[in-house]
Amino acid sequence: MSFKNPFTAETQLKLSPFFERTSKLNESQEWKRWSGYLAATQYELTHDNEYFAIRTKAALLDITPLYKYIIEGPDAQRFLDRLVTRNIQICKVGQVMYTPWCDEHGKQIDDGTVQRLSENKFRITSAEPNLEWIETNSAGMDLSVSDDSKTTASLALQGPNSRAILNAVASDLLDSLKFFWMMDTQFGDIPVSISRTGYTGDLGYEIWMNPKDALAVWDLLLEKGKPYGITPTGLQALDIARIEAGLILLDVDYISTRHAIIESRKSSPYELGLGWAVKLKKKDFIGKKALKAEVDRGSEWAFVGIEIEWDSFEKLHREAGLAPGLPCTAWRKSTPLYKGNEQVGYATSGTWSPILKRYIALAHVKTEYAKENTELDFELKVEHFRKLTPARIVKTPFFDPERKRSCPQ
Amino acid sequence: MSTVKKYDAIVIGGGHNGLTAAAYLGRAGKKVLVLERRYILGGAAVTEEIFPGFKFTVCSYVVSLMKPNVMRELMLPKFGLELLPLESTLTPLDNDYLLRTADADQTYREIARHSRKDAETYMRFGPAMGQIGMAVRPILETIAPNAIRPSLSDLGALKKLMNHFQSLSSEQFEYLTKLMTMSSADFLDEWFEFEPLKATMSASGIIGTFMGPKSPGSAYVMLHHYMGDIDGAFRAWGFQRGGTGAVSMAIARSAEHFGADIITEAPVEKVIVKNGRAVGVALENGDEYSSDMVISGLDPKQTFLNMVDESDLPSDFVTDIKNFRIRGSSGKVNLALDALPNFTCLPGDGHHLRGAISISPSYDHLERAYDDAKYGNFSQEPFMDMILPSVLDPEMAPPGKHVMSCFVQYAPYDIKGGWDDTKREAFGDAVINTIARYAPNIKDIILHRQVLTPADMEKTFGLTEGNIFHGELTLQQLFSMRPAVKWADYSTPIKNYFQCGSGTHPGGGITGSPGEMAAKKILGIWS
Amino acid sequence: MSRFDIIVVGGGLNSLVTASMLGKAGKKVLVLEARDQIGGLASTSEFAPGFKCNDINDVVKWIDPRVMKQLNLESYGLELHSPDLVRIALDTQGQHIVFHRDPNETADSIANHSEKDAKAWKAFTEYIDNLTYFLEKLYELTPPKLPNIGLKEAFSMRAMLSPIRRHGTRGLVDFMRVAPMMMPELMDEWFENELLRAGVSTAGIHHLSFGPFAAATGLNLLHQHVHSKGVFHNVHFIKGGTSELPNAVKLAAESVNVEIRTNSKVSAIHVENGVCSGVTLESGETFQADQVVSGLDPQNTFIKLVGPPKLNPTFATQLRNINYRGSTARIHFALNALPEIKGVTEDQMGTIFSASPSIEYLERTSDSVKYGRLSENPFVEFSIPSILNPTFAPNGKHVLSATIQYAPYHLRGMNWSEELKNKLKNNVVNVLGNYIPEISSLIESSLVLSPVDLERQFGLTEGNLNHGEMTLDQFLFMRPTISTAQYKSPIENLYLCGPGTHPGGGLHGANGFNAAREILK
Ligand SMILES: Cc1cc2nc3c(=O)[nH]c(=O)nc-3n(C[C@H](O)[C@H](O)[C@H](O)COP(=O)(O)OP(=O)(O)OC[C@H]3O[C@@H](n4cnc5c(N)ncnc54)[C@H](O)[C@@H]3O)c2cc1C
Repeated sequence: MSFKNPFTAETQLKLSPFFERTSKLNESQEWKRWSGYLAATQYELTHDNEYFAIRTKAALLDITPLYKYIIEGPDAQRFLDRLVTRNIQICKVGQVMYTPWCDEHGKQIDDGTVQRLSENKFRITSAEPNLEWIETNSAGMDLSVSDDSKTTASLALQGPNSRAILNAVASDLLDSLKFFWMMDTQFGDIPVSISRTGYTGDLGYEIWMNPKDALAVWDLLLEKGKPYGITPTGLQALDIARIEAGLILLDVDYISTRHAIIESRKSSPYELGLGWAVKLKKKDFIGKKALKAEVDRGSEWAFVGIEIEWDSFEKLHREAGLAPGLPCTAWRKSTPLYKGNEQVGYATSGTWSPILKRYIALAHVKTEYAKENTELDFELKVEHFRKLTPARIVKTPFFDPERKRSCPQ
Repeated sequence: MSTVKKYDAIVIGGGHNGLTAAAYLGRAGKKVLVLERRYILGGAAVTEEIFPGFKFTVCSYVVSLMKPNVMRELMLPKFGLELLPLESTLTPLDNDYLLRTADADQTYREIARHSRKDAETYMRFGPAMGQIGMAVRPILETIAPNAIRPSLSDLGALKKLMNHFQSLSSEQFEYLTKLMTMSSADFLDEWFEFEPLKATMSASGIIGTFMGPKSPGSAYVMLHHYMGDIDGAFRAWGFQRGGTGAVSMAIARSAEHFGADIITEAPVEKVIVKNGRAVGVALENGDEYSSDMVISGLDPKQTFLNMVDESDLPSDFVTDIKNFRIRGSSGKVNLALDALPNFTCLPGDGHHLRGAISISPSYDHLERAYDDAKYGNFSQEPFMDMILPSVLDPEMAPPGKHVMSCFVQYAPYDIKGGWDDTKREAFGDAVINTIARYAPNIKDIILHRQVLTPADMEKTFGLTEGNIFHGELTLQQLFSMRPAVKWADYSTPIKNYFQCGSGTHPGGGITGSPGEMAAKKILGIWS
Repeated sequence: MSRFDIIVVGGGLNSLVTASMLGKAGKKVLVLEARDQIGGLASTSEFAPGFKCNDINDVVKWIDPRVMKQLNLESYGLELHSPDLVRIALDTQGQHIVFHRDPNETADSIANHSEKDAKAWKAFTEYIDNLTYFLEKLYELTPPKLPNIGLKEAFSMRAMLSPIRRHGTRGLVDFMRVAPMMMPELMDEWFENELLRAGVSTAGIHHLSFGPFAAATGLNLLHQHVHSKGVFHNVHFIKGGTSELPNAVKLAAESVNVEIRTNSKVSAIHVENGVCSGVTLESGETFQADQVVSGLDPQNTFIKLVGPPKLNPTFATQLRNINYRGSTARIHFALNALPEIKGVTEDQMGTIFSASPSIEYLERTSDSVKYGRLSENPFVEFSIPSILNPTFAPNGKHVLSATIQYAPYHLRGMNWSEELKNKLKNNVVNVLGNYIPEISSLIESSLVLSPVDLERQFGLTEGNLNHGEMTLDQFLFMRPTISTAQYKSPIENLYLCGPGTHPGGGLHGANGFNAAREILK
């Protein structure tokens, strides 16, 4: 696993088990740090092809840096129900649930998926390390927690052709695998788990395997996927896709309450558009009291999608003698939103959507301005000067293809 | 005897605080004279070329607590303040090591090698302590009120502090209370599990202190070391190019820029007090200088029991000063090296030599070292905080050679039978043997060594009992009680006699703070 | 299933005080005690055929006068014996320092060692007395909820004006100076003689896991002297044995219709959605109540009986961080005759003896805690309770009960086996032998109570007699946690009343008294 990068000094960063392949494929040599791993920003010199692979072909992403924990034991489900806001009791074996989790003040710590691997065994994924939180809060319960971050490698295969590729590789057909369910199968004689999940809002799967099989799996997928346009894809393309899908990103769209230092940096799931995932009817869970109180009181903030209106955006640029300067990669710089003279919110990430041909962003706004179609002003800089341009609250996901959830007849 | 020209103020002692006070007074247009006993300025913040070509940052060695506004207001960067980042802390262990660096990912991974939980907690701990550091700043920046008979402005300051505390979250207030009262070990045990990590972090709680990491009260000393920042980064430590003496020299140049006169080799014998009023000073050589104000940058024992007559002071105050605790517990060993030390756990040259190296493998190591001192001996296997200044600044040693600064605990001032040359050398040997356990080549590369015991520090630097902070940082010697109740606002029972050394609020370290606040207090009286 | 207004878990002194005060206010109260007798740490039992002992406490240092008065304990048979001779600090040469109720007499005894110290003694006792007055007033209060102290809370602290009025802000400053001190610091300010310095310092380390070099042993020393009316090392014996104190409170409780059940071990406190509604016994029996008050320590109350899954994470962390680490052991010796102590006359025998030759001796013995081992030369405090209570031993025979520090709960590489207990006993016998040369031949039998035994028999977490260490970080608004310092827990309708709360340990009942006041609010 210790691969010496031919281009650089020996890195002090972690290397994924796929690095031996990804490092050779990475023409741009553009890397990013992701949870202490070296992760490809993009493989080609521009990311466009990778983005369109997600939306029109099949994109292959190394998502090993995700933190993963296995929770196992008679109290595993009871514990998860204490930990997260969704109802894990009704999660069936083979089912996956996306859920946030909170501190006792109902402020969000992280979000991820819970996979029910068997009656008493679960895997939970997260953006930041959560072992300490999980261990401290499972005190007094009959279960064991193990860090699965390094013991399981994972790939995401996303895009309309992803099912076809997996059908070509796996020993079982995936046609009946429903959205947010998973199954065990084999690639040749390599055992893998496949969940129908992803971070692109498209038809897509995530493949979970033993790290020792990583390279073989990678090679198989690339080989069998070639006719379907399989494309190694970096984080740049993914960022556009996840905004189109209206999916939040920790440390970009919100800050974990564990690190937030000040109160105003914390958000509840309601304030992040995840109210649907908070099950106040279930028994006591961490943050319930506070979340209930928030519902009674009404949340101060809402999380919304906005669309920056084209005409005046174009006009502002035209006036400066420029063509509209569209963000062709996703941005992550907090940007003010106004209603009249008052700042009523801020967008946290945005992008030009190549598939929708719309300029979209995700934003926090005061609840009273969160209604669909509310007109706000979005701050932008045109040739060094600040301007305001109209933006409108729109429903998310911005992009939501039928194929994401459907199964072939 | 000759009486020379009259000054607005005379500062006794050219330590960095005395110089800071002088610079501030000069900046306000006052004519100031600084009188330093030694041939060189800086006091405990001094760089000396003890062996040809080898510059030792003789006492203090790293900087973090220097107040940013002092740097700005005295224009210190212009006069030579250059702080180089100290990037890491290495704790060598017998068959392994613990390394924390400036990079969060690397630190996470290094700690996670030993404990994943600790690696996560560490990421929260830093910001949490940064918040606490920020929360105590207003206390540090407040002139300590008179607790017996508070003035109107004292009450105003107290009210402001109360409001400030009410704005803390219950969690922050809890941490703060714990830091004020607990042992550093107990405090860290609440957060971490990997002992070398805890031991190394707890060591901030024993520096300059006659306590072990398990002694209640040591957590405050740890907090004291957390309150600094460099360029806004809390808890960061840096190395002054040229050693800490260059900090003092920068302040001295600033003071001179503002018109101060500085005389070295001018030991003051007595403050001249007439009718309960300080009117000048007399030097040991008989010279006298007169001034409107006299400000002492010495420690409280010197300032009150040596510089003036007890009969000029109220008796309860004399009792308070006599009861002021000032036990020294630290030694310093400076080495001139032929080559770099080679650590068994991380052989060869590398980033790790650019940071601090802490000999603190376990609580037991620190506690045993403390036990030795508690019962009147120097530590056989001491705790050490070491840096290699020449790695950070090659000018500290001849090309290819190195200097190493080892801050050592414990070396009690009151060693059984008193300090003598034999004991000093035995202490030096204990230090070298302890280093050799982790860097076996050390014995072969030493060209020269300088060993300073608390008795040496008292003799050379005028630090009573060799205490590096001019008085212990215990709860009952802080804020309105430092150095004594009623006289914690830099004034003294003698009119026109002031104090500005580390024995006043907010205490020791290279901070510039007592000097600055004393000057501001004096200027307030003047206006 | 039966219903009560209030259920009190545990039948220790504070629980009984709380129950009585609540009963007095007309509440229907049930007290549930696990053991076969009430009284908790104030119990008396037969440890060898014909020999009885005060299990833990031979004396009380002070009883909250509010408790004495409100519950009229004297009318229920409580008789305090306050000896004129409160303590003897033993000297191996027989030159003991004898602490009397009258400071002048104590000074006479000190004068044998140091004229200077003898002269300072009276002033010292007055100094300490002045400072304890601040604690006396503080102990009557419910700690403020910091940092959010508003006008109302500030007003509730107004009782603190009285000591300030009496002793001035200088008194307050002295209090704030001495409380965080370590013993050698305080002693350096007053005394030079080692036997005296150590003899005084023992008050600072009483039941602590730290030695005299620990900051805030000053606070512990002051704590021992609350309501002592200037008598340093003040003690009271209780006629008939220490258990007569809780017995009197029990009678007071029963007079206001409090129901007390022994042999009723609570196995769970019911909490649902953050609200407490009752308890279940080990037998399976359940009780419902509007409020539940626990006299157990926080660990037992919340971790054992409520259960971590019912606690919010911050509170659970705070609870986990409470330091207990009991370091005190007790040994009861059945003696076949009254021991002879070198240099002590027979009429001086009915007091407390302390083997504490120097501060360094005490500190060295305390080092054992941090290394997790047994003290070789422990600090031993003992008395002979059979002198005051002849029924404690068969005719002509006696009981010697010793309190030993340091016997840490947390040991390294060993545990509290019978063998280790024997070793501890031998160490103690050796120490006693310095003063009672023929001690070995007097011993008929003995009982060693290690911190683990104390945990097992008395339900004390880690064997800590104070339900949590008496340190500055676990004092006032931090006791037992910053979220529970007002006797009310973060769980609705669940309260605390034991020594784990303000103002800490000792057989004084102040915790129970204050808790009842909060519950009735
Ligand atoms: C070994 C050691 C290591 C340390 N390490 C660090 C560190 O790494 N980082 C840090 O921040 N702090 C450190 N400190 C603490 C810090 O150096 C001191 O707290 C600080 O320098 C004190 O400054 P000062 O101006 O208050 O007093 P001093 O520096 O003590 O200044 C007093 C001055 O008065 C002079 N003087 C004395 N008597 C007379 C007289 N009669 N007449 C005229 N002049 C007189 C002395 O010579 C001296 O120059 C260390 C201290 C020591 C001793």
